Amino acid sequence: MSWDYVSGILILSGINLMTVLGLSLLTGFTGLFSFGHAGFMAIGAYMASSMTMKYGIPFFIALLIGGVSAMLVSLVIGKLTLNLKGDYFCIATLGFGEATRLILDNVQYFGGARGLSSIPTQGTTTLFNVIIINIVAVFVLVSIIRSRHGRNMVAIREEELAAQTIGIDVFKYKMMALAISALYAGISGGLLAHYLGYIQPIMFKMVKSTELTIIVIFGGLGSVSGSVIGTILLTFLPEILRSFYNWRLVIYGAAVILIMITRPQGLMGGKEFSIKSIIKSAKKFINFVRQRIGNKKEEVKS
Amino acid sequence: MNVLSLNNVTKRFGGLTAVDNVSFHIEQGEIFGLIGPNGAGKTTIFNLITAIYSITEGEIYFNDKKLQRKKPYEIANMGVTRTFQNIRLFKKLTAYENVLTACHKSADYNIFSSIMRIGKFKLQERYLKNKTDGLLKLMGLWDYKDIVASNLPYGLQRKLEIARALALDPKLLLLDEPAAGMNPEETIQLMELIKEIRNKFDLTVLIIEHHMDLIMGVCDRIFVLNFGIPLALGTPKEIQENKKVIEAYLGKEEKTYAED
Amino acid sequence: MSELFLQQIINGLSIGSVYALMAVGYSLVYSIMNFSNFAHGGVIMIGAYIGYFSLTFLKVPFFIAFVLSAFGSGILAVVMEKIVYRPLRKRNAPFLYFIISAMGASIFLENVVIASPIGPTFRSYPTVFSSEPIMLGSVALGRIDLLMFVISAISLMVLVYIIEKTKIGLSIRATSYSIKGSTLMGVNVDKVIFIIFVLGGLLAGLAGMLFGMRYTVYPQIGNITTKSFIAAVFGGLGSLPGAVIGSVLLGLIETMVSGYLSSQYRDLIAFALLILVLVVKPTGLMGKTTEDKA
Repeated sequence: MSWDYVSGILILSGINLMTVLGLSLLTGFTGLFSFGHAGFMAIGAYMASSMTMKYGIPFFIALLIGGVSAMLVSLVIGKLTLNLKGDYFCIATLGFGEATRLILDNVQYFGGARGLSSIPTQGTTTLFNVIIINIVAVFVLVSIIRSRHGRNMVAIREEELAAQTIGIDVFKYKMMALAISALYAGISGGLLAHYLGYIQPIMFKMVKSTELTIIVIFGGLGSVSGSVIGTILLTFLPEILRSFYNWRLVIYGAAVILIMITRPQGLMGGKEFSIKSIIKSAKKFINFVRQRIGNKKEEVKS
Repeated sequence: MNVLSLNNVTKRFGGLTAVDNVSFHIEQGEIFGLIGPNGAGKTTIFNLITAIYSITEGEIYFNDKKLQRKKPYEIANMGVTRTFQNIRLFKKLTAYENVLTACHKSADYNIFSSIMRIGKFKLQERYLKNKTDGLLKLMGLWDYKDIVASNLPYGLQRKLEIARALALDPKLLLLDEPAAGMNPEETIQLMELIKEIRNKFDLTVLIIEHHMDLIMGVCDRIFVLNFGIPLALGTPKEIQENKKVIEAYLGKEEKTYAED
Repeated sequence: MSELFLQQIINGLSIGSVYALMAVGYSLVYSIMNFSNFAHGGVIMIGAYIGYFSLTFLKVPFFIAFVLSAFGSGILAVVMEKIVYRPLRKRNAPFLYFIISAMGASIFLENVVIASPIGPTFRSYPTVFSSEPIMLGSVALGRIDLLMFVISAISLMVLVYIIEKTKIGLSIRATSYSIKGSTLMGVNVDKVIFIIFVLGGLLAGLAGMLFGMRYTVYPQIGNITTKSFIAAVFGGLGSLPGAVIGSVLLGLIETMVSGYLSSQYRDLIAFALLILVLVVKPTGLMGKTTEDKA
């Protein structure tokens, strides 16, 4: 395996991770389910690419414009559906994702079904940039989760009615989670466009949305580190096991059902993987070993 | 001064009248009991006060402010909060996290200061944590603070719901069968606890309860409801001697069996 | 009235009635279990394939193929309920888990077909009817369109009969009103859920085969259910008459748009309609506002 190959997969992992982090906040922490985040990625990808290609706007600013555009669209969807009871939000995201693709198919300014090509890839979506952006993204996400805002989102996931009776504006916090997740997806789309150098509407099909949600579920609903580990694993696996490619989604589908039925906490079980927890379990392990050795010594003595 | 006033409140679900022309007024600092056989519409009244249901007819005032057309969270922010008959804790969170979450109104830092961890964030978070510690100790939950809510025994879950409600610094607390599932000893403890928090937090309390010992021992006044219709209002002594109430409760035995 | 207009009305009715077959199955589950069964599309797709292979491989007569695809889908729907949803129901799992599992099931079904020897290719049903239309005056009536309409209409009437006139129908209606209440009244909720999955599955099988005949069969054919979700919102989420009316209207609007504007906009119009409904009247045409039990 050459370094180019590995770094390519790492970049792809990082691009996926951006959307997964946002979905983690939306689905894992706030309990909302979306079928349409590939649509937000598409908006980010097309906006950012036209900014760099047609107006020569610097890469990072173009990424931000792409992300913010996706966020603004998400606010419209949220405004229409998030204060309704029932599965309106789900159905609206389903329709939105498909409609975005169909609209892009028909807009000649964005190249129609052929999409955009010769998007600048030099010095844009580099491994370094992807890592920096992801570190910032994780830091922002964890900070939000560990604040009153994040706690309010978790409260909504756990028990919406009780959340209201302790004074949480459920609509506002759902909007916030949706907006942040769309911003992340938009940035992710911009990164993808500037990594591949071309984009087509067909790349943002619904299956892309669901694949990314599956990663969140694998990593564990309500765990940021689970999402990170899950993304890297699930981006690498199909690349390494090429023959596995066709059966990949079959296994994913079955695994998702199995996880929901048996272990809805996923890989990390809602827990976080941190330096502290590593030290803690290392200490436990050392103590355990010490006790065993101690016991052995005592046995020997007696 | 009246903290809570219900004026001719009626609630209909389709053709069914769940609450029929109910009026009562609760004074500042009172512990006010709401009793009646199953299906009398007691919880419906709670749902009307907390805006989970909308009122069909009539008005509800809290501190002379009309409560109609408000959202449940707005009512909570005005100082009215409640517990639920079928406990609604944040099940997968620990006791500590349950209360800490509910303390959110004591802080007002915005999302940017939570991202940058600057400004009011640290100061206010420390305040929230101290407040949570205090509430858990007060409710006798300190030893259980790291236990996930759904793993707590029933009685402690009910106490945790009260602690969570108190985290809002409410002026009016609605307790929906707080002693359900508790043994007599726990019930007496709870009775003392309710009085204690009323005095400590300068609260007004409205209780729904089937444990008559608790209701009679703790309430200043009691309102009796039967099939949505007001039956009686008075002190515990007056209620115990009220003929209509006795009749309704004697008939109750058969009815509960039929309904269950 | 112009011929084109009449023609589009007839096309719209036939497409809309098949949307209704799908939407009714989805709404039945939604009205009882309160979650969107996004795996419904997978059941429709399998129905389309069963119909296809019955005709080409087993070479059974045409109406037997219909029976096979309906029953195949019915069985699949029930098996799915048993494996995927029942464990969650027994645990009182949050609705989010149901939706996620439904998504898992849908991905599984679609990709099992793609990965299997059947593969991702588009397959055309053998011609059962001549493509020669029946002429009513100057209006051409496609034979398949006519079949779609007739089969859908009969199936829906049977469904209405079951729900309105039979004892099990009464249980279904009671359960959709309140699961808890109907359990207390002695309704066997497991049985009701079994029945609604059977009914939804049977109709899905028919819809799958009809769509397969009208267009082609391919693994993603189930995505067409997106239309029936939108139709269900249009008619009023959780309402059966709403699902039917919403579907027929959606079918009509779509064919009008492709007739008078361009077929490119046909799929977009469904989404535009969804937005419009959400802005103007989120409860849809027949929807009722419900209040949570606290």
